[in-house]
Amino acid sequence: MEKFVFFGGKGGVGKTTMSAAYAVKCADAGLDTLVVSTDPAHSTSDVFDQQLGDEPQAVEGRDGLWAMEIDPDEEVEHHLMETKRALGDQVSAALVNEIDRQIEMAHQTPGAYEAALFDRFVDVMRSSGDFDRVVFDTSPTGGTLRLLGLPEFLEGWIDRLRRKREQSIDLYEKAAIGNTEPRRVMDGDPILARLRERKQFFEYAGRMLREHTAFFLVVNPDELSVRETRRAAEGLADRGLAVRGLAVNRLTPSPDDDEHGRGARYLRDRVATERAHLRTLREEFDQPVVAEIETRVEEVRGDFLTEVAAELDIETAPPADPPTPD
Amino acid sequence: MSEDGDHGGDEPTLSDRIDGFLAALREWAAGLYHGLVTHPAYEKIEKAAEDAEDTFMLACFPDAFGIPSPVSYYTAELLPYLESEFEAWERRMWDRGSMLERKGEQYHF
Repeated sequence: MEKFVFFGGKGGVGKTTMSAAYAVKCADAGLDTLVVSTDPAHSTSDVFDQQLGDEPQAVEGRDGLWAMEIDPDEEVEHHLMETKRALGDQVSAALVNEIDRQIEMAHQTPGAYEAALFDRFVDVMRSSGDFDRVVFDTSPTGGTLRLLGLPEFLEGWIDRLRRKREQSIDLYEKAAIGNTEPRRVMDGDPILARLRERKQFFEYAGRMLREHTAFFLVVNPDELSVRETRRAAEGLADRGLAVRGLAVNRLTPSPDDDEHGRGARYLRDRVATERAHLRTLREEFDQPVVAEIETRVEEVRGDFLTEVAAELDIETAPPADPPTPD
Repeated sequence: MSEDGDHGGDEPTLSDRIDGFLAALREWAAGLYHGLVTHPAYEKIEKAAEDAEDTFMLACFPDAFGIPSPVSYYTAELLPYLESEFEAWERRMWDRGSMLERKGEQYHF
């Protein structure tokens, strides 16, 4: 199994439960495991009954298990401050205001939040050398797909920017043939250096996602969830990221045969519908169903996590070739 | 002898005068050549460089013109290093009535 494992799916299907349970399973198998929540509505803290923060924190009462919750807002703020500091170092006081406004604006565009989240989770991947496995509990499908689609898109974009920049510097150098200093020179151009750095960052992210990451989709046995799962699986495949398996959560338990009350009839109908959806998932999807978890009356936490973990048919063996940090 | 000496002091010899004339001519020719040929050529190349830079800047900061960009978060970190470019770019962009006007600037009638 790869070093990085992602759990995705529609909102409210139980991604957090599944990823926490899988992390527990890995930790119990003797792997140093980190669970990372990238969902803006964090609930990992609730599952482990412990307040988590932006740095990996040992989960109390469980050996080899750490957890953290990424806060994109904080990352946006941090990035804003970094950029402004560079601005103070570089730019004359007269121009700071003008450029400052532009920087503020860039941090309020709709993409900023996603970009920050992306930066953060690539950071986590980069600095995860101490862990054998990192489990990502992602935000609902739409956001995740956009997020995972970023590296390729951004690599292309950065490449085009770099070419434009080189072209203009090249022309400036040509215009200065003779006696004058060119207005810009290729050597040591800070913009090109930055763009190159960014490109490496995206390349790293893309490589990790394609070669060292396994994706699982959590699905509930209902029409909407099945449909969304189909779209998500296709969307990920389009980006060259294959889904490894489907974890079915919230299956309704069937009543005993001798029960014939209203509740039993309801349950029987419900179970029949779910069976149909389960069949669809088994027959029409290329991915195997790796877990069938029944609905539980209590919240899944504590010992229940271990119970759910036992029902997950996902291997825990450490990766044969762990990714090398660059 | 004395007449020659006097003349030698006041008036340059013929070869000196020719040299002086040639020097002036060379300066004029260089000036004319620079004005007519090299300067417009360099100016054109420099304008092309500015145009390429404008495209770069527009790709980096379309939101300066109200076009939302998913990458402005990343390009914002370039801004501190683009100080002079940024201002010149904004000025050029607001100034640029039409492509024709911009291309026409290099002809000095």
